[in-house]
This record gives sequence, structure tokens and C-alpha cells, in this order.
Amino acid sequence: MITVSNLSKSYKGVQVLNIENLDIPKGQSFGLVGNNGAGKTTFFSLLLDLIQPTTGHIKSKGILVNESEDWKPFTSSFIDESFLIGYLTPEEYFYFIGELRGQNKSDVDNLLAQFEDFFHDEILGKKKYLRDLSKGNQKKAGIVATLIGNPEVIILDEPFANLDPTTQIRLKQILKDLAQKQGVTVLVSSHDLIHVTEVCERIVVLEKGDIVKDLATSEATLKELEAHFTSASFG
Amino acid sequence: MIKRFISLEWKQFKRASYFQKGLAIKILLFLAVIYFGGIAIFMGGLMFFILKKTMPDIDPIITVNNFLVYWVLGNLAIRFFMQQLPVMNIKPLMIIPIKRNVVIHYLLGKTTLSFFNFISLFIFLPFCIVLLIQDYPVLNVISWFLSIIFLTMAINFVNFLINKNNTVFYLIISALVVLIGLEYFEIFKVSEPIGLAFNSLYNNSYLVVIPLLLMIGLYKVNFNFIRKGFYLDDTVSKKAEKINETDLTWMNRFGSIAPFLKNDVKLISRNARPKQVLMMSFFFLFYGLFFYTQPHYKNMPAFLALASIFVTGGFLLSFGQLVPSWDSEYYKLLMSQNIPYKKYLESKWYLMVVAVAVSFILSTPYLYFGWKIFGMIAAGALFNIGLNTFITLFGGALNRVPIELNVKAKAFSNTNGFNPTQMLIALPKLALPMILFYIPYKLFNFEAGLIVLASSGILGIVFKNFFLNKIEGIYQKGKYKTIAAFAEKK
Repeated sequence: MITVSNLSKSYKGVQVLNIENLDIPKGQSFGLVGNNGAGKTTFFSLLLDLIQPTTGHIKSKGILVNESEDWKPFTSSFIDESFLIGYLTPEEYFYFIGELRGQNKSDVDNLLAQFEDFFHDEILGKKKYLRDLSKGNQKKAGIVATLIGNPEVIILDEPFANLDPTTQIRLKQILKDLAQKQGVTVLVSSHDLIHVTEVCERIVVLEKGDIVKDLATSEATLKELEAHFTSASFG
Repeated sequence: MIKRFISLEWKQFKRASYFQKGLAIKILLFLAVIYFGGIAIFMGGLMFFILKKTMPDIDPIITVNNFLVYWVLGNLAIRFFMQQLPVMNIKPLMIIPIKRNVVIHYLLGKTTLSFFNFISLFIFLPFCIVLLIQDYPVLNVISWFLSIIFLTMAINFVNFLINKNNTVFYLIISALVVLIGLEYFEIFKVSEPIGLAFNSLYNNSYLVVIPLLLMIGLYKVNFNFIRKGFYLDDTVSKKAEKINETDLTWMNRFGSIAPFLKNDVKLISRNARPKQVLMMSFFFLFYGLFFYTQPHYKNMPAFLALASIFVTGGFLLSFGQLVPSWDSEYYKLLMSQNIPYKKYLESKWYLMVVAVAVSFILSTPYLYFGWKIFGMIAAGALFNIGLNTFITLFGGALNRVPIELNVKAKAFSNTNGFNPTQMLIALPKLALPMILFYIPYKLFNFEAGLIVLASSGILGIVFKNFFLNKIEGIYQKGKYKTIAAFAEKK
């Protein structure tokens, strides 16, 4: 689904990301972990063509993301709150995204109905603008919006941060289902090793822009990751 | 402390990405400052002699005093549109031990160093020196000069208030409209008593305390206003606004660009900044009244063409020049969602076209001035739709200053997105129609001018796709830069 070759990104001569090769097959739930500055958000931004690669390229379903816009119809993402339109109510925002992705109002309503418990009655019908919601609720709205219109690739940066425990648990279910049952390629980044090992079948560790580990998740993965990051902290 | 603020400011200034724009524009700005400064000094020095010569019977100081009210108004208007108000990021300063008052004094003090204040100094200092050389009473001249400077500062602070506080803005605007109306329709000549007032200011030097008190008073008002806003209440405990829900489904008939148009309508109706701009663009409709009623413009049809551009182009000129900044808060979403860039630009194009069309319909009362004038407005509207929209979109590609949409209440954020780059881009929007009209007018006749102006617009509409593709290319090229600049928090 996603093929990365010779990708690197430098800012003023300092390399912040360097991935020689990475293949993410369709329907994989892919986790990206790493300390601050490891290049997680940089990678996602490159994937969404929000920044320009210094070398190399990313192909999504065979489409060069920095040359064509044709990846947009099957890709959805939530990176940060700049993906929300503050002056819309959550409903209006969902319908807007729906319209962009060729879904009518009832399609969107059907989808939203599945997430009633996820919203915990704090999002829909509250007559509030998105900008007036709390950070956590904004995030919930942003995440659910990425599910609209049957995307084939979903990219979520730090989806678990700022969420309450109930929602975190529910989100993990949702993400697992997406990859396993619907064949959606899900890319998440996280600082939380436990969440990521629970959700993702494959975990890649970035360190200062390089891939240092590429693991198929198993019982031992969490231990291995913890060991890795513990040793990193002692040099 | 103040020293540290200054160093912080300097860093912010130097390191902002939108500052790193073309060298040519920086040089032009620098030249403009020198040019206007020089003109001001020159004018100030010569003003006395010019007035003496043209009106030998009247003492130049009296003439100056009679016209001072226009100077004050013009000064205020120019400042409102052009003066960059100081911005300081207060959040980090609130938790460290600095006295609030120090920050506020610093902030207000900074506004006094604006170029606009120096213009007053540049004009009136040489003028007063000439007065002294001409043996005018020293005490009166000096106190008058001080009064002018105090007044300039007072204007400076008024401008700060009207930019930050909508109530004050509307109050002052409506007061001005009433006064100008009274003056214009000769119901009551407001300028006369004001002229008298300035003259007595000159004759009685002790009256200098009035402008002084005015300045101090306005400083205090500003100070209190900012002090009240010096809390982050808005972010800590958000007061949720009442939402306004309007049914916009009727707009679906616009097809694939309907979602964007609906969004833009909400953008305008729910955010403080765009609302203010919309109101301003409404005032543009009345531009024609100033031009078409003046007899001496009758012989300057190029200016009438300009007025026609203004009449229907208010929204285009004021809202349009800040595309795509309006969407800066969620630009990343638009860039990664299922939106081809061209669709986005096309929707903005349609928005402007609709606005011009609505303005055109609203301008039908100008029929009162005859078919010639109305024909001109129609031709101007066509030009606005056919060419100015594209020039505006093109200019937007160079516009990378993010806008905070809903910032009327916060005293510390810059609500003034206007910048000199925008001015330079605006020039062709106004000069081009004047030229297009004037040349055939000179060569043939009035009708030929109208036809050329109108057909240039029609040509633009015919080649719409060509223009949009070209503009899309420019936006695509600048895409990464724009995203990065919009992501920058102020």
C-alpha cells in the first residue's frame, strides 16, 4: 500500500528523517514509536505532502504523493488541531468532511451512530463550536472524522494523548477492527508503548530519524521495546 | 526588563518566516519610508510660504488650523488600515515575575515609536521653525507644536482602541459618518468650530493642557482596557458562545464547490475578523457617492473608473486580498483532505464573483446618476469578475501571514492582517482598470473606454480555466512554504 524509498528530510543541513526502505502492506496496523524528535510527525507530514522531501519519495497505492493529488480520496488523517475547523460544530464538521468524501448526510449519520459510546455524549448535539470543546473532545471529533468516507489509509498522530481512559480503550478496539475486519491500513504514532503494542501488528522504532527496530508484534514485543527505551535513557 | 522585551521582540521579528520575503519588497518599503519622510519634511518647510502665496490675506497658521481636522481624520484613517499594532505573546509572561503594568507600559510605549507619529513631527517641526523665523510669538508656536504632537499621540491611542475594541470602533465610525454627513450636505459645518478651536489653541498657549490631558486620558483608557484583557480567562474557562445555525442546504445547487461556499459563509458569519471585513466592504458601495457627485471628477473619467471598481469590488478587495489566510487555522486539513487545489481556488473565485454580483445589484440606485455612470459600474463589475478576481487570487499566493479568525476581545493579538506587501499587490487591481479605460477614452470616446474595460473582464471569464490553472501552479509551488508559515503560532 505504502512504499517508501530513499526518503530523507533535512532542515538547514540537519537530517531529521532518513528511511531507506519501508513497505506497509494493505490492511496492516502500523505503529511508529520514538522519543521526541525521532521523526514521527515528520514522516506523517511527508506522507501527507505537507512538507517536501529532501530526497526520495513515498508512493501510496502506486501514487507519488508529492507529485499527484490522487492519494487524497483514499487517505484521511488527524495530526493536530489544525485539522479541525474551529468555527463549525462537530456535526457540521463531520458533514463537511462527508461532502468532501462523497458521503451524504445519512451516510455520515450512520457512521456517527456507531460511535455514540466513543463520544460519551459530549460531542454531538451540544450546540458548541469545535473551538469551544476541550482538547480531548476535539481529538475525539478529529479521530472520528478520519473514519468518514471509507478511507483506505488512516494516519493518526498521537491518537491516545489527551484522551480519557475509557475512550482510549474504545479507540484501541476501533483501530484494531479497522485493520483486521475492514482491511484499512492504519498508521499511528504514540509515546505509549502499551497502547501501541496492543493495537499494532507491526511496530517500527525511530531514533533520530533512522529506523532502528522493525518488529512484528508478539508477546515479547512490549518487553523488548521497554528494554530498548530503558537502555536509550542510560546512553 | 524593558531591554529584555526589546531583545525578545527583535528575535521574533527576525525569525518570523513571513518576514523572510523578497528582498525587492524590503527595499521598496525602505525607499517608501525615506520618500514619505522626505516629503513630509519638505512639505513642512514649504507649507508656510505656499499658503502665504496662495492666500495672502489669511495668516498661514489660521489656514493650517482650519484644515487640521482633515489631517486628524486622514491620519486616523490611514493608521487604521496601515499601522501595525504591537503584538506580544503574554501567556509566557504571566507566570514569571514581571509586573503586569510594566508589560502594558512597554506595549503602549512601543506604539509611540510608529512611523506615523514621526510623520507629524516631520511636517510640523519644520513648519514651526519657519514660523519662529518669521517672528511669530515663541510661546504660542511652541505650545501649538506641543499640542499637535499630543494630538498625534492621542490619535495613536484612539487607533489602538478602535482596532482592539469593536464597540469603540462602531462608535467612532458612526460619529464620523454623522459629522461628515452634516458637513457634506452643508447642514452644519462642523469643521468651522473645530478650526476655531485649533485657532484658540494657538492664541492661548495655556490651552496646551487640553491635548495633553486628552493624550493622558486616552493612554489611561488603553491601559485599563489592556489590563482588563490581561487574563487568559478565555482559554482557561471557555465561555461557549451561542451558536448560530442557519440552513444553507439551498447552496447545494452550486454543485461540487457548494461545501466550500457553505463553509465560507459560516466563516464570515461566525468569526470576528471576517465580520469586520465584510462590514467594511459594505462601505465600499458608497465610494461612488464621493466621486460621482464632485463636479471636478466629471472631467477625470479615469477616477470615475476607479470609483466603479470600488463600488462593486469592496468584498473582493478587502476579503479577497486575505485569501488564503482566512483558512490558515486549518490549512493542513484542506491540504490533506480530498480537495484538489484547483477546486479550492475555484470556490474562492466563485465566492468573489457572487460578492461582486451582489454588490452590483445593490448598486442599482446609482442609476440616479445616469446611464453613463451605471454603465461604468457595470463595466467595472465585469472587470472585477473577470480580471480582479484572478489578480487577487494570484496575490494570495504571496500572502503567508496567518490570521486568527476570532480575536475581537483579546487585546494582545494582532487583529490587523494588513501588510505593505498586500498594498503593492493591490496596485494593479486599481491601476489596470484606470489604464484600460483611459487609453481608449483618450483615443476614441467614453463608450470605447467602457467597451474595452468590460471586454477585458469578459475575456478573463472566457479564459477562466487557463488563469485558474496558472494560479494553481503558483499555489502548488508555494504550498510547503505556506503550510509552514501558517503553522507558525504568533
